[in-house]
Amino acid sequence: MTLFFAGLALLVAASSSSVLLRRWPPADRVCLTLLGAGCVLSIVPAVQVLVTGVAREFRWESGVPGGDWVVGIDPLSAMFLVTILGVGLASASFGFAYLAPERARRRTWFNHATFAFVLAVMALVVTAQSAVLFLCVWELMAVGSYVLIVMEHEHASVRRAGLLYLVVTHAGTLALFAMFAIWGRDSGDWTFAALAASRAQLAGGRAAAVFLLALFAFGGKAGVVPLHFWLPPAHAAAPSHVSALMSGVVIKTGIYGLLRVIVLAGDPPRWWGWAVLGLGVLSAVLGVLWALVQHDVKRLLAYHSVENIGIILMGVGVGALASSYGYPVVAVLGYAAAALHTLNHALFKSVLFLAAGAVYRATGTRNMEELGALARRMPLTWLAFFFGSAAIIGVPPLNGFVSEWLVYQGLFRAGESHEALRLAVLAAPALALVGGLALACFSKVAGVVFLGNARSARAAAARETGAAMLAPISSLVLACLVIGAFPAFVVPPVLSVGKFIIGASMQSADPAFAEVLAGAQRISFVAAGIVLVGALFWAMRFWASRGRSLRVEQTWTCGYGPQTARMQYTASSFAAPLVAVFGRLAGVQEQRGATVFRTAPADLVLDRFVLPLWARVQRLALRLRPMQQGRLHIYLLYVVATLLLLLAYLVASPAPLWTGS
Amino acid sequence: MSSPLAALLFLLSIAPLLQGVVTRTKSVLTGRRGTPVLQLYADLWKLSRRGVVLSATTTWMFRLAPLALAACAVIAATFVPVDGHAALLRFSGDAIAFVYVLALGRFLLVLAALDTGSSFEGMGASREVAVASFVEMGVVVALAALSLATRDLSLTGMLSGVAGNRFGPTTPSAVMVALGLFALLLAESARVPVDDPATHLELTMIHEVMVLDHGGPDLAIILFAGSVKFAAFGAIVVSVLVPRSALPLAVSLSALAAGLVGIAIAVGVVESTMARLRWPKVPLYLAGATALTGFGLVLLLR
Repeated sequence: MTLFFAGLALLVAASSSSVLLRRWPPADRVCLTLLGAGCVLSIVPAVQVLVTGVAREFRWESGVPGGDWVVGIDPLSAMFLVTILGVGLASASFGFAYLAPERARRRTWFNHATFAFVLAVMALVVTAQSAVLFLCVWELMAVGSYVLIVMEHEHASVRRAGLLYLVVTHAGTLALFAMFAIWGRDSGDWTFAALAASRAQLAGGRAAAVFLLALFAFGGKAGVVPLHFWLPPAHAAAPSHVSALMSGVVIKTGIYGLLRVIVLAGDPPRWWGWAVLGLGVLSAVLGVLWALVQHDVKRLLAYHSVENIGIILMGVGVGALASSYGYPVVAVLGYAAAALHTLNHALFKSVLFLAAGAVYRATGTRNMEELGALARRMPLTWLAFFFGSAAIIGVPPLNGFVSEWLVYQGLFRAGESHEALRLAVLAAPALALVGGLALACFSKVAGVVFLGNARSARAAAARETGAAMLAPISSLVLACLVIGAFPAFVVPPVLSVGKFIIGASMQSADPAFAEVLAGAQRISFVAAGIVLVGALFWAMRFWASRGRSLRVEQTWTCGYGPQTARMQYTASSFAAPLVAVFGRLAGVQEQRGATVFRTAPADLVLDRFVLPLWARVQRLALRLRPMQQGRLHIYLLYVVATLLLLLAYLVASPAPLWTGS
Repeated sequence: MSSPLAALLFLLSIAPLLQGVVTRTKSVLTGRRGTPVLQLYADLWKLSRRGVVLSATTTWMFRLAPLALAACAVIAATFVPVDGHAALLRFSGDAIAFVYVLALGRFLLVLAALDTGSSFEGMGASREVAVASFVEMGVVVALAALSLATRDLSLTGMLSGVAGNRFGPTTPSAVMVALGLFALLLAESARVPVDDPATHLELTMIHEVMVLDHGGPDLAIILFAGSVKFAAFGAIVVSVLVPRSALPLAVSLSALAAGLVGIAIAVGVVESTMARLRWPKVPLYLAGATALTGFGLVLLLR
């Protein structure tokens, strides 16, 4: 634990160095060095825990109500620590290069300081082992990421997105207070160990309340449909490295919370497992569908976070269901799939967000319809974005495939069981549909932004970004490729995370685990096979076209004149066939004319439900307006009236309200 | 040479033949003389001797895509137990890898189409991904049904297992799954009623228009990849219906070849007797095919 705390101290030092040395330009480098050292130091114990499976703990007798403050690293925490610090480090180092051009105009030091601080706080969120400490750091994380989101607060849309985020996250925190209060009602000790020990009393209505509140609070943080509506505006408003952090890491703390509650409270009730699986399917399908209709690259990526949270929740749902139906092996697979997809999504989504940030720096726009042909102007960014896209649609040999394959393992093996659990297999086709739609969506983004002809002068004049921005992206791409090509190295640790969640022994073996591990090894063969057979075809083509002519002509236009950028399919038209299938569910307004076809995406939940509801609440609230006259004697009257009412209640109530000494 | 490898090479070598059988069936049914059955072999040879014309708009993606497409089709075929016993590459969950490896090839081909900046190819790509989303879902329903019937997650286990208890309670499911897979095969290999490979108007094409700018050896590789995909899918349909795990290699491969030719004839019959569906009807057709496999799955969930 010493290393872990030393790392945290370095992160805090990085944060304060950025503040203290803000007038000294080289301070960025000092801050980055401290931050990097801090992340690396804190990752070391996490990796040790993942490999050995032995948890560690630090206890401080705080003396504040709620019991001791405990910080511990167990396999579940370690998995999330690696994700947070690894992706956080890459995003932070991208951020220094990304914000460097704005140093003169903006207090970028404040952003860097907050970033380092939020990283430290998040490391504590996933290691805190007592409720009071957890709530403190949870709230700090929420406020810290709000500060990061509203960096460009001169734009009204950014302020609005920040406010929306703040409202949702605080509603979640409130639910968390209620959850811990209901759970720890009988004892004053709110350490996680004590909460876990009192799980026997957690039954019936109380258990239902705890699990429902957890689903609301952590689900809202994770961006589960229908609580996802804060996520796309916030991700689009934030600077790119912050979007990467938000999408890759911050929303994952919601998943961590759900898994932690399962660890502490034991097997959740069956309806809860079905609810999580159902919400997972809903989020995955609707998330990718809504992503398909976006034209703002970052909003599109944000909706894909909703989709991937859905896939993760499908893993969690299978795990929860299988353990409550008594199939521990399937449960381990489901939870392992969720844990691995959490890591994988963090990796490839930050690749995509950071590459989108590089594109934004180079062109000044996030609107796909103004981009195009960037593959020629920014070849390395394109390569990174291409690998990121292949990873997110879940094709081998990238990491997205490995975790989706694990989710399928869980779903199919649930189908082989003998009870209602079998019905979980019906989620598998939904996952396949999500994969197909994600392929459609990323064909659209990659094709429209990077391929074809440039749709605007800005896109035509784009220049490749520097090494400082490309290096962090490449390291994340490398991680995606390594996990995708050699999954046998990551499957054992995530299986042990799964075993930890259901409370099974780390050594517990089952033929199914051996099969999965053998399958993971074969996936390496598949990767190698694709490369080898591709090389074989390349050699055949090379041999066949020796001495043959190679001409470069313009694209076929039926013989009508030169090719122009306006001939290309737009993002709107590319998505049109699928939008037509899903109809109103896609939430799109179309504008068709002789020479125009445009689509305007709307968020079904935010625009059709939350905002109208809020408008109605505001109208109702206006009726209360006459009560607020601003005159002192009227308020005094209210106070007196309230007191009288309370006294009347005391007199009339059959039982005393309190038992005084 | 090991039996799975020999069987795989056999499948790859007869793959172009099947396309010829389809065309031949159509010519016979419509009273034309038509092209020889071995026409695609001649086409592949001819194309491979041609020079290459590249579009000035394209990047490396355009040249990589045919190679990746063919590699993915071949690797997907290695998961199929062609000889009726075992596939060359088999592991728990390879059925899922089958679907996703084919998706990788499709992704690259779609990007190559968008690489040309042509409205035709954009249109083809847009339709291709829309069709493929639903086909993938249908195929996974079929795979789920097969895995439930056999308690196995690899194509090897699923296909020899179905054959093993063919006359057991899973027979109706197997028939429904096979019929549904056949309907999906038509969509996946760009055939009527979803797509028409014989149409001459770019606006009405899906798959064909997507590779409009590919020529020479690149086009040869794409055509070969398409025929391999058809053969691999066909081999799955045949294996669901016909048990071959007890047969010796030569008999088993002959049975497979006969089954594949039967499927090709069936495709030809469908193409000669049906018109291509209007685009808005295509999702309904795919939903119907998925529902058919879905009934097979639901019967097993009883």
